[in-house]
Amino acid sequence: MTTIQHHPDDELLLAHAAGSLDRGHSVVVASHVENCAHCRERMHVFEAVGGALLDELPAATMAPDALARTMAAIDASPKPLAMPTQAPHPVLPPGMTWPRSLTGCPATRWRWLGPGMRWSRVTLPDDPAANVFLLRIGAGKNLPMHTHSDSELTQVLHGTFHDGRALFGPGDFDEADGSFHHQPVVQAGGECICLASVRGRVLFNGVVARTLGALVGM
Amino acid sequence: MPPAVRKSSMNTVRQTTAPVSSRVRPRAPWLSIVTLHQGRDAMPTSEELNNLAQAVARKGDRQAFAALFKHFAPRVKSYLIRLGTSEGLAEELAQEAMVSVWRKAPSFDPSLANVSTWIFTIARNLRVDHFRRIGNRTADAEELDGDDMPDTLPQPDELLLTRQREAGVRAAMAQLPDEQAQVLRLSFYEEQPHSQIAKALGLPLGTVKSRVRLAVRHLRRLLDGLEP
Repeated sequence: MTTIQHHPDDELLLAHAAGSLDRGHSVVVASHVENCAHCRERMHVFEAVGGALLDELPAATMAPDALARTMAAIDASPKPLAMPTQAPHPVLPPGMTWPRSLTGCPATRWRWLGPGMRWSRVTLPDDPAANVFLLRIGAGKNLPMHTHSDSELTQVLHGTFHDGRALFGPGDFDEADGSFHHQPVVQAGGECICLASVRGRVLFNGVVARTLGALVGM
Repeated sequence: MPPAVRKSSMNTVRQTTAPVSSRVRPRAPWLSIVTLHQGRDAMPTSEELNNLAQAVARKGDRQAFAALFKHFAPRVKSYLIRLGTSEGLAEELAQEAMVSVWRKAPSFDPSLANVSTWIFTIARNLRVDHFRRIGNRTADAEELDGDDMPDTLPQPDELLLTRQREAGVRAAMAQLPDEQAQVLRLSFYEEQPHSQIAKALGLPLGTVKSRVRLAVRHLRRLLDGLEP
């Protein structure tokens, strides 16, 4: 695997560790962390902060029978542990694996979005309103120029693209907000597949692009 | 069931523990851990808490579990209340978190995190899952989350690394300037961290973000030597 160059920033990773990210964003951050040793270590540090903060919290008063009730629950027959089921997902190119963070999240087959562009809607069973999808863009193609009203996270799962600022390869992560317009271009070498989570609406420039945006439901 | 667990309150458990002399008994070190604090309210050390968790994992030791419960259940409840959970629900979820601690104890790996950090992640995930469950009325079975299934076996030096990390984080946090420690704390106790913190403190969002950045940079400086 090539070296990962782009990581979630501290604020995002801290929110992920604190459990305060919405579900859509958290699966994309998790898809990065699961393949990035550097960010796993950062997560461990942030979670250790959470552990240290837990220790320093003043103790709340538990109900007098709290321990007895807890032991009773332990002695009662345990709930079956459900192994997350493998939900359907679109056909992937050879060498690409489905992110572990999406286990149990069904995704549609590849749908046509434009010349050389396909997408797959990912449904998060515990947050059906989350706007999470895969984009599959052919070699040399570019996404319509767009900007974001709030925040979009992207994790590169396969291939490379250049967004006008930097090159993003497999394992790389990107966060975009309304502060700039970008037009990702997929490199000539091969197609590119990204996982994205969008909060707020993506604002495309131009009528054709806006139509595509409406088609994707963004 | 040993006598300790039939008692209905944690205070009672404390009184039934072994005498101080048991501290030297090599076969049951976890008993001494509870005893060590008898009569004073010293916080158990990370090492002691880790030993308790391992006693629960290896032998289903209920007395060790009771000691873990005494330390963590009230703090998990406190954590949930800080995040806006009602008293009754916080009580229920804190108990549920401790049931998870018992059930997941065999997967507790001190080479990944110390027990406080591990229980923090259990409480965090439980809280997040609970509110999703309420929102969607699905998910009837407990799920194995990814955290329970490490993809690689821990390396021998990871245990040392984790101890250094946990100790380093605590030392670094003790040295943080108050204003940085405050935003870090609020990052864990607010649902929408930074914008909400800014509002609560009457600070510009940029100031909060820069304090978080400084706090993290400070932590990282102290932890830099630890990166593999």
